[in-house]
Amino acid sequence: MKRTTKWLVLLVVLSVLAAACGGDSSTTTAAAVDTTDTTAAAPTTTAGSTDTTVPATTDGPKTIIIGTTDSIAGLDSADAYAIHDWELLRNIGEALLSFAPGTTDIVPGLASDYSVSDDGLVYTFNLRDDIMFGDGTPLDANMYVDHLTRMLTLDGSGGVGGALGTPFIDSYRAVDDRTVEITLKDAFGYFPQVVTGAPYMPMHPDFPIDALIEFPDAPVYGVGVWMITEYVPGEQTVLEPNPYYSGSAPAPKVDRIIIRYFNDAPTMAKAIEAGEIDIAWRTIGQPDLLAELEGVDGLTVGTVPGGGVRFMVINHQLAPTDNADVRKALAALVDRDEISDRVYAGTAEPLYSMIPVGFLGADEAFDDVYGAPDIPAAQAYLTAAGYSETNKLELQIAYPPEHYGGTAADLIQLLSEQYEASGMINVEIISQEWSTYIGAVIGGQDYAVSLLGWFFDYPDPDNYLAPFMNNGGLGTMITDPDTNEPIDADAQALMDLLVQAGTETDVDARVALYADLQQKYAENVTTLPLFFLPEHVVYWDYISADDAAATIESLNIGPTFDLHYELLDTSK
Amino acid sequence: MHPLALTFLIIGIPALVGLTYVFVRGSSGLRRYVVTRIILTLPMIFILATVIFVVLRLLPGDPVTSALGPRGSPELKARMIDDLGLNDPLLVQYGRFLGDIARFDLGTALTEGRRPIADEMGERFPATLELVVPATVLALLIGLIPGTIAAHRRRQAPDYAIRLFSVIIYSIPVFWLGLMFQLIFSVKLGWLPVSGRIDAITGIGLERTTNILVFDSILSGNWVAFRSVLIHLVLPVTTLGLVLSGVFVRLTRINVIETLQQDYITAARARGIKERVVVYGHALKNAMIPVVTLIGLQVAILLAGAVLTESVFSWPGMGRYLIDRILARDFTAVQSVVTMFAIFVAMISLAVDILYSLLDPRVRY
Repeated sequence: MKRTTKWLVLLVVLSVLAAACGGDSSTTTAAAVDTTDTTAAAPTTTAGSTDTTVPATTDGPKTIIIGTTDSIAGLDSADAYAIHDWELLRNIGEALLSFAPGTTDIVPGLASDYSVSDDGLVYTFNLRDDIMFGDGTPLDANMYVDHLTRMLTLDGSGGVGGALGTPFIDSYRAVDDRTVEITLKDAFGYFPQVVTGAPYMPMHPDFPIDALIEFPDAPVYGVGVWMITEYVPGEQTVLEPNPYYSGSAPAPKVDRIIIRYFNDAPTMAKAIEAGEIDIAWRTIGQPDLLAELEGVDGLTVGTVPGGGVRFMVINHQLAPTDNADVRKALAALVDRDEISDRVYAGTAEPLYSMIPVGFLGADEAFDDVYGAPDIPAAQAYLTAAGYSETNKLELQIAYPPEHYGGTAADLIQLLSEQYEASGMINVEIISQEWSTYIGAVIGGQDYAVSLLGWFFDYPDPDNYLAPFMNNGGLGTMITDPDTNEPIDADAQALMDLLVQAGTETDVDARVALYADLQQKYAENVTTLPLFFLPEHVVYWDYISADDAAATIESLNIGPTFDLHYELLDTSK
Repeated sequence: MHPLALTFLIIGIPALVGLTYVFVRGSSGLRRYVVTRIILTLPMIFILATVIFVVLRLLPGDPVTSALGPRGSPELKARMIDDLGLNDPLLVQYGRFLGDIARFDLGTALTEGRRPIADEMGERFPATLELVVPATVLALLIGLIPGTIAAHRRRQAPDYAIRLFSVIIYSIPVFWLGLMFQLIFSVKLGWLPVSGRIDAITGIGLERTTNILVFDSILSGNWVAFRSVLIHLVLPVTTLGLVLSGVFVRLTRINVIETLQQDYITAARARGIKERVVVYGHALKNAMIPVVTLIGLQVAILLAGAVLTESVFSWPGMGRYLIDRILARDFTAVQSVVTMFAIFVAMISLAVDILYSLLDPRVRY
């Protein structure tokens, strides 16, 4: 037999063998959830098709391809915590309440309306009629209560219930088929914001009540506008309209959304430039990439004011930052504009309060108090603390070099230069691997000053302040980690204001309380806010957003970072 | 059948053919050697698995803290660490790990959704294989022929040109070459895709039996998908293949030069055998042993992940997966994946040894 023929025979044998062994598709994985038992016939007046085998022709389903460098960490709302997971869950699911696209305004979700008891403890949510999962299974109040039970009892595996459920909820019950009553442990004024989150989105009743299913087999049905029809890990997720959706969101304008996953921003930038994707969303904020994409004819770069902040954790119980004058000196020396210009090419926005722009009550308290950079004022603080040019403050600054991207080292180096420009501080930079680092920061025993980033769990000012004050404050140590007792009178005043603002239900009164709180927070230098990094969405000119909603330039994406796929359209 | 098992099977069939050959046609010395090598592979894998287990636990950090970051109460962290068995004595954890490996149970990842590692490897490893095998073939094609030409035309224009090419291509960082190809052929000319394994829309609904998309598209008779897969392979395979070829060119050239100076080559020429046969039939074949060794080493390294190529082309292979899991301190995933690699390396090393005896009858074991 000729050599070529031998190879051909081998190839044929291999192919036949592979075909013979062929099993299930691996486009979706992990534990199976049987969602085939539909309880209602599919309506005929739907916007989308559920056929996932449509050939790729120009006459095929209207499709938008969105690129991202994120990946799916889990699609069970009882456990999901990552930004991209929440984005998918918000599109395939719906929580008790929602945000109007592009804003932080609360609008109806699963609940058409709700009421609060006079003491602020009992919330009664009235579910709208005809809520159905993508397979036609109806949702009633009892099923929603089962979902709450699942979310609250499965919190041990990932912390989502422990962070966004158990701290708030005392008890809950189904009053009738359409009414859910939740009793809180305290009168949290921002509870409506909390129930917009993914943990309050019910999963299909076939999800077991006592186990998480992070990667359910597709199709994944929620009660939202979309459903996931296919998922290939590391490659793409395909969504099509939920034919049974009956909520207030507009009907999808396209038949299919494909989320395409990239390893890094430069590759994603080239993909959109080459027209392989229609939209590039998040983590494309490298200044050189943005400049390049802004120069491409037909591409628009939209900026979304960010929820992601960077700040220094100041430990109030470790020397030298246990001294209030030292803390104030550190606050007075920071030049945020220089950080933005030199490290982030102007793309970072200076942050003068822990509450970023766009959130309720955000102000610029650190600018008002310190007017930084102000070297003479900082020198005065340091002198008051007993330091001089001959007796310099020895300061250690810690950071995790691999966790916040390649710019973290530049940021800390520049910050050190700004401190040393006072002539009264010597800085020693400490770098530590993330998992060791974060344990040390929170433990409060190792670092006086350390770098940290934060992204909200619920878009309320409380979530930008409370974590840095309660139970050790993630390393600020202004309260006892175990008892939550404030360490001094200043901390007590801050904690009192935090509780007051958190339990206040009147918006104007809350704003006033947060103004007072931010002022005292700045004077105390509880943490030292540096900047926030806006996100960017890049899209071709044939992509359009809903002009009835806010922030059209950024495809209706607002401070909550929600990309509503149903608002997108394409003329391609 | 699981895609990972199927991939093993596809790789294993040539190995089985080789072993069958050894036991049917090979010398008794070769048979003895192969059996000894297979037996020695077991302690090698055991030692490697042990080293990986110890090193991972010596490194600072743990998967729970890495995953939760600043969130999660100390009680929650303690409970999760307990649930994952990380509180057990090291000997207990070690025993559990070895027991799982002995049963070919790769376990469940500690982070990122806690999926079975076999499933994750079943998605990632075939992608790497689909990239590495054609890239190695391309590197060989580029390496062997010009390398032999350069040796044959030593100190002539073709030799200088090929040596210059090999030095340049060997010096170019793979990510830079990939980026240039993307800019030229994807962004500027629009001929080839920037990244991914298959077009987003074409890939919908493709039955992934093996997760080697070339095979899957053929098996499903989806020729549109087949074409898309081939087009998506062009840039990453060319990038990786070109960079790999530099060293093959140089190695082939130097070995062919040495072989061409042997007495039996002079004798062959004196007998009037055509120069083409002398060079490509005799000299190249005898110069192949070091090249085969290098192929084995390169393939073994690349199967562990052609990290930079995979990153540049967003290729969802093993390289990126392993880096992510190391950073997340996912002990189970890293241990299992590295142990699987050890098995692959042992298989490839054995295959190379068998090939020696086929290439050079003088080799005796």
